[in-house]
Amino acid sequence: MDYRRDIPLAITFIVGVIAVLDYYTTFESVTNTFTVIKNWGVVLQAFALGLGAVNLFRIHGKRISERTRDDWMFSGWLLLMLVLFVVVGLGTGQYDASTSYQWIYNSLFLPLGATMYSSLAFYMAYGSYKVLRARNFEAALLFITAVLVIIGNTPIFPATFPVFFHIREWIFGPIVSGAYRGIRIGVGIGAVVLGIRTLVGLETGYLGRR
Amino acid sequence: MSIWEKLTSIPREVIMGLVVIAILIPALNPLGLPLMVGSMSENWYDTVDSLPAGSIVLFDIGYGSGGYPSLGPGNIAAFHQMFAKNLRIVMMATALEGSMMYPLIMAGVKPESNYGAVYGEDYIFLGYIAGGQTAMAGVLGDLKSLVSSDYNGNPISGYSIMDNVGGADDIDLVAYMTTSGDTAEGWVYQAYSQYNRALLGGCLSMMTTSIKPYYDSGQLLGIMDGIKGAADLEFLTGHPGDAIVSSDILSFTQTLVLIFILVGNVAFWMQKGGGK
Repeated sequence: MDYRRDIPLAITFIVGVIAVLDYYTTFESVTNTFTVIKNWGVVLQAFALGLGAVNLFRIHGKRISERTRDDWMFSGWLLLMLVLFVVVGLGTGQYDASTSYQWIYNSLFLPLGATMYSSLAFYMAYGSYKVLRARNFEAALLFITAVLVIIGNTPIFPATFPVFFHIREWIFGPIVSGAYRGIRIGVGIGAVVLGIRTLVGLETGYLGRR
Repeated sequence: MSIWEKLTSIPREVIMGLVVIAILIPALNPLGLPLMVGSMSENWYDTVDSLPAGSIVLFDIGYGSGGYPSLGPGNIAAFHQMFAKNLRIVMMATALEGSMMYPLIMAGVKPESNYGAVYGEDYIFLGYIAGGQTAMAGVLGDLKSLVSSDYNGNPISGYSIMDNVGGADDIDLVAYMTTSGDTAEGWVYQAYSQYNRALLGGCLSMMTTSIKPYYDSGQLLGIMDGIKGAADLEFLTGHPGDAIVSSDILSFTQTLVLIFILVGNVAFWMQKGGGK
């Protein structure tokens, strides 16, 4: 018997069966048990965040000590910021609700996060210009659809010519939703099969590399 | 090099420079260009509007700093409507940074001074709850066994808003705004499929295609479609803000992108046809 394999498989089976029973039955004992399991899940995932921070220290600490890469100073900056946020959060005793923590976040992280996301606009503008070329029939279909969706998404066009709004809605309806539904149904069936395989112990990828 | 060849290879710096100009003009001088309110935003507004005063709304702030420019203004407009309707809002965050968005949103809404709302009676923030769909299932299943204190670390048992909120049965509407596809679909699975709760979803425009099928099937009653949806909500709630200014910027920049695409194609075909 391989305990490292069999014990996780047994836990997965028991938890999976309780989850399925909770969905399909109304037994109070099952509901209560599954509530406890869900709460454990939340605690475990919160714990994983701490584990992630430890991993960051391990990887970037190694980069700093070796200094073989040119960007080792960024690793140092990352760990410095990590420590700063943790110290300020824990030091005030109010964690992320403290005004000092919020000040650091709003002054440093918020503008950077917004800038990173906003910079996409420039690359998307350039990318659209370079890539959306009607070189052949398939590309022409993509080009026409993209142009109509952009026109429908640009506030001034539908407001001036409502027909563009209805064209966009039609593209988003029968075409996009239809295609997406097919994808979702396929993914759903795949998830059911994967779930059953995991429950009966045929899927062991989540146990990690052995 | 012919004119057509030049037009098929406009330098990146030129395009990006013109995009900057297209952003700056309406940003510095808002023009108030016309806006057509979409049906998805209208349905969001009508769903909230149909709730009687005192109804409980579970609201997930599922985005961080990257999503704030798109979703923050819509979140503020949505809360304006909810507080004006005297709805009671239980807020939570499935995104790690969601708890940092809360003070920014509240600074925009000012529920105490604008609507006479009281923290703990009319609204509460439970903070970040880890676990994604596990957290959603936990909150809807048995909220009080999962969450014991609010964002400020005070026991939720001390707040009157939580007296009658134990799980999905006590919640009249679930609404979320997120930058995560898993969260957007997760709420459909957990709130609608499991508990048949009324559900509203807000997401980035690029995600709308992936959650629109749930709207078409009636699982989502309304969608706030990125900054365009936010502008719609600001217009509908009568609280113009950043989103309406941004819709001017959208009109300028997207028209410019459209021109670039058309110029690129015309030049490409002229060049291919041997035009000089």
